[in-house]
Amino acid sequence: MKYALKRILTLLLTMLLVSFLTFAAFELISGDPAQTILGTEATPELLAALREEMGLNRPFLTRYISWLAGFFSGNLGISYRYRIPVWELIAPKLEVTFWMCVVSFVLITVISIPLAVWSYRFVGGPLDFVRTAFNQLCMAVPTFFVGILMSWLFGIVLRLFVPGDFPDLHTDFGAALGHLFFAAVCLSIPRIAMTVRMMRSTVIGEMQKAYVRTAISRGNDRRAVLERHVLKNSLTSAVTFLGQTMAELVGGSVVVEQVFGIPGLGRLLVASISTRDYPVVEALVVILAFWVVLAGTVADLVNQQIDPRLRLGGDA
Amino acid sequence: MKKRILAIFLVLGMMLTLLAGCGGKKATGPEKRKEANEITVCLPQDLDNSLDPHKSVAAGTEEVMFNVFEGLVKPTSDGDLVPAVASDVRVENGGLTYVFTLRQGVKFHNGDTVDMQDVLFSIGRCAGLDGSDPLIPALSVISDMKAEGDVLTITLTQPNLEFLAYMTLEIIPADYDKQDTEPVGTGPFKFVSRKAQDSIVLERFDDYWGTPAKLDKVTLKIIEKDESRIQGLQSGALDMVFHMTSTQAMQLSEKDFHVEEGSMNLVQALYLNNAVKPFDDVRVRQALCYAVDKQGIIDLAFDGYGTPLGTSMFPSFAKYYDESLTDYYPHDVAKARELLTQAGYPDGFEMTITVPSNYQQHVDTAQVIADQLREVGITAKLVPVEWATWLDEVYKKSEFESTITGLTSDNMTARKLLERFDTQSSKNFTKYSDAAYDELFAKAISAADDAEQVEIYRQMERNLTENAANVYIQDMADLVAMRNGLEGLTFYPLYALDLSALYWDN
Repeated sequence: MKYALKRILTLLLTMLLVSFLTFAAFELISGDPAQTILGTEATPELLAALREEMGLNRPFLTRYISWLAGFFSGNLGISYRYRIPVWELIAPKLEVTFWMCVVSFVLITVISIPLAVWSYRFVGGPLDFVRTAFNQLCMAVPTFFVGILMSWLFGIVLRLFVPGDFPDLHTDFGAALGHLFFAAVCLSIPRIAMTVRMMRSTVIGEMQKAYVRTAISRGNDRRAVLERHVLKNSLTSAVTFLGQTMAELVGGSVVVEQVFGIPGLGRLLVASISTRDYPVVEALVVILAFWVVLAGTVADLVNQQIDPRLRLGGDA
Repeated sequence: MKKRILAIFLVLGMMLTLLAGCGGKKATGPEKRKEANEITVCLPQDLDNSLDPHKSVAAGTEEVMFNVFEGLVKPTSDGDLVPAVASDVRVENGGLTYVFTLRQGVKFHNGDTVDMQDVLFSIGRCAGLDGSDPLIPALSVISDMKAEGDVLTITLTQPNLEFLAYMTLEIIPADYDKQDTEPVGTGPFKFVSRKAQDSIVLERFDDYWGTPAKLDKVTLKIIEKDESRIQGLQSGALDMVFHMTSTQAMQLSEKDFHVEEGSMNLVQALYLNNAVKPFDDVRVRQALCYAVDKQGIIDLAFDGYGTPLGTSMFPSFAKYYDESLTDYYPHDVAKARELLTQAGYPDGFEMTITVPSNYQQHVDTAQVIADQLREVGITAKLVPVEWATWLDEVYKKSEFESTITGLTSDNMTARKLLERFDTQSSKNFTKYSDAAYDELFAKAISAADDAEQVEIYRQMERNLTENAANVYIQDMADLVAMRNGLEGLTFYPLYALDLSALYWDN
C-alpha cells in the first residue's frame, strides 16, 4: 500500500515538474505561435488581435495555472494549429505509437535475451571480435538509413507492405501491425544491440562469482548453471534496462515514423514544437512523463517477482 | 523450461503478426484508384492552422484550397481574371467603380444558393467594414458597397486598377460558422475530411456552376520526408508529387512516371538587412551582386532547373517582368573586389546568412553562395534556424544580417511583390529605404490607367536592381511527378494546384 502511494506521488510530481519546465522552456525560446500561424502575411494589427484571442498576453503563471486547472478537470485544451481538442488529436496517434512500442518490445525482449545468453559461448574466443564488431555496427548505423533501406527492400522490392500507405488500425488491424512490424525492426536493432551488450557483461560478471564456481565444481553442467541460476540473476539489470528503453522509445520514434509514414506521437511532438502548438506539446510531454514513470514502475515490479530479495519488507 | 515455453510462444506470436501483415494487406493500388476515378497526391507539409480561407495565409494551404473556394472572379492559368461567382464585371470611372453581377444558381457545398448576403458578408469581413481589423489591408480602399438586387457596386476612395485582383477573395456562406474545420465554398471540389498530419480528402462537387472536375475524389497525403515520397510513388501509394527536387525526379523510371516542369512563382534571393553595417552601403550590396553567380547556383544546387532573376518579379507576371534586369550584375569577381575596396573592405569581411532549416533548397543555396563569396574575401557563416524562429527573428524583428528565402504573391498584382520595399510598409523586413522608390510606389497605386501603372512598377523594379536592395537569385523550378496515365496538369502564375483539370487517360 505504501509502495503504491509512493509511486503515485512520484508520478504526480514528475508530471508537474515536467509540465512546468516545458512551459518555462517555451518562454525562453524565440518563436510566437500567433506569428507562426499567420506566417509572412502577418501585419502588426492581425498579430496583436490573434495574440489577444489566444490569451498569450497573460502573465506566465496565470497561463500555467490555467492550463493546470484545465488538465485536472480533464480538459487538455484546443490545438492552436488544428483547432480541435487536443485529446481528439492525440488519441489515434497514441494508439498507433502504443502498438508500435508493443511490437518493438516483443522483438527486443525475444531476441536480445537469448542472443545475450548464446553469445556467452564466444567469450574469449576468436569469434568474439566479430560479434563485438557486429554489435557496434548495429548500434552505430543511423536509424534513418536503415529505415529507408528496409522500406525499399521490404516495401518496394518484396512488396510486403506499402510505404506511404499506413492502413487504419481499426479497419485492418493485421495489415497495420504488419506495417508497424518493419518500423519496429528499425527501432529495435540498435536497442537489441545495446541490451545484448549490457546483458553479456552482466552474465560474464555473474559467471565469475563464487556460487557459480561452487555449482560447477559440484558437477553441474555449465550450460544448466547458466540457464537456471545465472540468467535469473542477470535478468534484473536487463529488465531495468528494458524499462528505460521502452520509456525512450516513444520519443525516439520520430525518424522511423517519418520514414514509414506512420501517424504516431513522435512526429506530432516534433511538428508541434516547430509550430509552437503549446497545448499539444504540454499534453504530449505529460503523457511521456507518465509513460516513463509507468515503464520504470513495471520494470521494478517485474524485478521484484524475479528476485525475492528486492521485495519490500521481505527477506530473501 | 518455463522460459523456453514462454519464448516459443512469443516467437510464434511474432510470426503470426508478420503473416497477418502479409495476408491482410489490401493496399489501394493505382489500378483500384483508376477504376474509382480518384487519385492520391502528396503534400509536403500539413496544411497550416485553420481552413477558413480568409484566415489561412500559408501558401501551402492556399494552393490546395484553391479548388474549394472561388471569388467574384478567379485566375486562369494564363494569368487573366475571369468571372466566377460573378457573371459579369464592369470597371468604370478609370478604376474608381466596380460593378459585379451575381451569377444565378451558384451553389455552396452545403446546398445553399449563393446570394448577395453572402457576397457582402465575405467582402465585408475581409475589408473590416464592420469596424474590426481588415483581414486584407489593401481592401481599405473600399469606400462604399451598394447592392441592388443582383448587382453589386463597389466604389473606392481613389482609382485603383489592381482592385479586381483582390476580388478573388473567397465567397463563403454568411450563416456558417465551421469554416475553421469544415470549410464550405463554391469551388469544383468540396472538402470532405481531414486527419491531422495524415491526409485531407476532397470530392468532386456535382452541383458546380462551371465545368465540373474530371476526377471523383482526391486524397492529399502528408509525407514530410523527401525519400519517402519517392517510395510512395514507387510503391503505388501516391500518384502525384509536386515541388520535387531534381535529384528525386531523376530516380523515377520513365516507364511508370512523367515529370512536368513549371515554376514555383517566387523570388528567391539573398535578402540583405539594409539597416545593418556593412549592407547599408550600396557599394557593398552591389559587390555582393557581382560576387554571386546565379547560374552557378542553379547548376550546382538545382541541376540546372530554375530561372535567374534580377529583381523582385518573376516571368509569369509577364506584363510587369523586365528581363533586361536579370543580367544587370554579371558574375564578376574583380568588379566585386573593386567595389569592396572602394567601400573600405579591401580584405572582405565576415557575415552571417540565416536560413530556415526546413527549406532544404534555401540551405543548399546558402552553401553555394558561401563558397562563391569566399572568392572575394567574404567569410559567410550559415546559421540554420527553424521556421518559427525565422519568422520571429528575421521576419518580424529584422534581427539578421542576411537570409535566404523565397517570397511569393497570393494574387496577381505586382503590388504584392513590390509593396514590401516601401519605407512605410509593415512587411519591410529588409529595411530597404529609398525616397525615390517610395515616391514611385505612391504614384503607382494611384495611377490613372493600366499602361502607366505597369510602367511605374517597372521603374520600381529597376530601382531595386540599381540600388542592389538584395541579391536576387532565381524563380525556382517546380517539378511535378505524375504516374503515367494521369494527365491534365496546368501551371498557374500563382501558388495554386488546379485539381479540376486532372484526369486518368485510359
